[in-house]
Amino acid sequence: MSVTQTRAEAAGTSCWSCKAATNGAHFCPTCGKIQPLTRDTNYFALFGLPEKLGIDADALEQKFHKLSWKLHPDNFVRADDFERNLSLERSSELNDAYRTLSDPLARVEYLLEHEGMRKEGTTKQQAPPELLEEVFELNESLDELHEARESGEGVTELRGRLESAQKDFQSKLADVDGELNAIFARWDAALDSDASKDARGALMAQMNEILNRRSYIRNLVANVEQELTKTS
Amino acid sequence: MEIKGKIVGIDLGTTYSLIAYIDRGAGHPKCIVGPYGSTLCPSVVSVDEDGTVIAGQAAQRRLLTQPERTIYSVKRLMGRSVEDVQDELKHFPFHIEPASGNVIRVRLGEKVFTPPEISAFILRELKSWAENFFKETVDRAVITVPAYFNDAQRQATKDAGRIAGLEVLRLVSEPTAAALAYGLHKQQRGRVAVYDFGGGTFDISTLKLISTEEGDIYQVLSTNGDTHLGGDDIDNVLLGVARKEIQRDLGLDLSVHPGSVQDLRKALILAKHQLSSAEKAEVHVPLEDGKFYVREFTRREFENLIEPIVARTMGPVKQALADAKLVPSQIEEVVLVGGSTRIPLVRRTVSEYFGREPHCELNPDEVVALGAAVQADILDSGVTTMLLLDVTPLSLGIETMGGVVAKIIPRNSTIPASAQELFTTGVENQTAIDLHVLQGERELAKDCRSLARFQLKIPPGPAGLARIEVKFVIDANGILQVAARDLRTGEQHSIEVQPSYGLNDTEVERMLEESIEFAEQDFSERQLIEARNEAETILKATAKAFDGEAVEQLSRDERAAIDQSIERLRDSARGSDYKLIRTNIDELNQATMHLAELVMNGALHTALEGKRLDDV
Repeated sequence: MSVTQTRAEAAGTSCWSCKAATNGAHFCPTCGKIQPLTRDTNYFALFGLPEKLGIDADALEQKFHKLSWKLHPDNFVRADDFERNLSLERSSELNDAYRTLSDPLARVEYLLEHEGMRKEGTTKQQAPPELLEEVFELNESLDELHEARESGEGVTELRGRLESAQKDFQSKLADVDGELNAIFARWDAALDSDASKDARGALMAQMNEILNRRSYIRNLVANVEQELTKTS
Repeated sequence: MEIKGKIVGIDLGTTYSLIAYIDRGAGHPKCIVGPYGSTLCPSVVSVDEDGTVIAGQAAQRRLLTQPERTIYSVKRLMGRSVEDVQDELKHFPFHIEPASGNVIRVRLGEKVFTPPEISAFILRELKSWAENFFKETVDRAVITVPAYFNDAQRQATKDAGRIAGLEVLRLVSEPTAAALAYGLHKQQRGRVAVYDFGGGTFDISTLKLISTEEGDIYQVLSTNGDTHLGGDDIDNVLLGVARKEIQRDLGLDLSVHPGSVQDLRKALILAKHQLSSAEKAEVHVPLEDGKFYVREFTRREFENLIEPIVARTMGPVKQALADAKLVPSQIEEVVLVGGSTRIPLVRRTVSEYFGREPHCELNPDEVVALGAAVQADILDSGVTTMLLLDVTPLSLGIETMGGVVAKIIPRNSTIPASAQELFTTGVENQTAIDLHVLQGERELAKDCRSLARFQLKIPPGPAGLARIEVKFVIDANGILQVAARDLRTGEQHSIEVQPSYGLNDTEVERMLEESIEFAEQDFSERQLIEARNEAETILKATAKAFDGEAVEQLSRDERAAIDQSIERLRDSARGSDYKLIRTNIDELNQATMHLAELVMNGALHTALEGKRLDDV
């Protein structure tokens, strides 16, 4: 591992080499030199896309490849350290953007974070109210399983109960994914119809709620899975 | 513009290393043949009594005569700490200095070297092969590394290149390089899995080969592996069996006879190779006190012995497919790389899993070096007509409260990749924030690989006022770079990074200077000395055989042929053409093959007779 000192970034409005206006483009439209990253990047804009949640995976991949050909450090082996470093910054941003946008969940999380609607690591791990009863039962079963395992009692019946709970939660997870897809479509339609800021805000708040619920159920499923493999 | 020398591709392997270039006339990559007539340069380094360092074939021979001054499989030590390699020490005769600390130091005779320095000797040897071939300086290279190598192992490989006087333009993953050579050869498109089972490392990569307007893209989807699983481990299993039997049946403890262990190892490796095509292989090795180890291995027994090792490759294979969200039937081609894929059990295991016959039309030993040469040529020409999009094999994380690791760049992210983290102070007038960067998939810092610790310096102020953004970038070599910036002032921050494992820049520079001293000796001069020494050895051995009884059984023609070869070799050894000496050595070897067999049988006969007498 090494430490680099990148040159303090310029405002990103004029070319570092020929001083012409760049408007945040990857390359200077006048002299063709690769440009530093601008502060307010947006992964959607990087691919020339609107902030829609339905993305054609093949089209996105093609755009990713097009940009990779231009920005990849392989093209800058002969350039000086400064330009090589810019290529490293630009191509890593491109790869980060593609990684994020090609995964539907990472995509919506990015959108919400970018809009200030969601902060990473601050999702509340609270049981959604409509699941409280089931989660309570599940935790009870898990506790019983723990005890049974420690005292060496038979766990067949408990396993059966957990497995069916597991199936139940997995189907809930599928339902949530269905809900997400539906709201993605509503979001995209709202953008198309140029919906008000408030309307968009409301949709984002809903998406945030669904994501929290999803992450909660996802954790439950993972926990149960872990317990089941321990007992098998 | 500065005039640069030739550029090459190098496969720095555990057992063998190779160097390749693009043959413009032929329009495809080729491996360079070394002075011993082979493209394979044994990854063995030996230090002479006078301090001269020898690498390659000549060093391999010294494994038998001077095991204490000779080292093999040094790749297993690259980028690791003494603590990491305790397991290896049970199987490998590494003489590690006790106070090695975070960088291993290995004793070879009177000298002490770090693993990158030892690897640099191998690289210098290969460099000299190429310079001799081109009659031109070679100063830049693409070097391959196992896909599953971590940051420290990659950095150590890059350091080795620098110490050898090579500018390392890029580190490329071995399976990716293989895919490049293979894709070029077959004009194949689609999803490909590369199963790379070499001498010391195992890698599996899944790739997508795509044609675009601008050229072909080789996009790695996922990679997995084990940097300590290879043919070496198979050899160690066989060696374990043999040593146990020798102890039990002959009452010999080989741990006090390192030379015999190397003889035995060599014979067992030969048997392993034979078992790839034959149903059984015989081993007879002369040991101490006129005793012999004689043993027949059947293919079935061999397969039973190595099955657990082959099975260990399948965990990473399944993980790599799961990470790429693929099932085996979605893989259109399977490519086998590495010498260990010649083993029929390995081929069977792979073809059963994927449900298709794997490809092996390219030489599995050479394909990685050929791919490295292709990438070297792309980087050199300045016209990118093929693009490799590789991934980072391990997740990058930082240690947070309670020793938990927060992942900031997930494994299998296309590289270059980056992540930004914002840090602030927790208490009044705090002047520093400690950061610990790690690589690995586990939840806790203690189970991951520590890459570095460093401190962010902060001007004193109220708690929470500071806003320091740290940017982590994994470059196209898979090596991490860190930069920090004060968001309030826009100033770059200086960071003191103490790498957890590895050399710092000053150390690498010093080693580069030192290694030049070792390399002073002219290449062809050294070749001549080595060839003459070898000629002398074989002439002496032949003379000794002539004194024995076996010679009586030779035909008149055979005898005459040997005499003629001896004469020719004596003549050429007086001259200075080392290639001619080599040719004549080979000739004499050929001519005395039958004689050697007779001598061996005679010795065996005596040994067996001796045993029978004992039994009575």
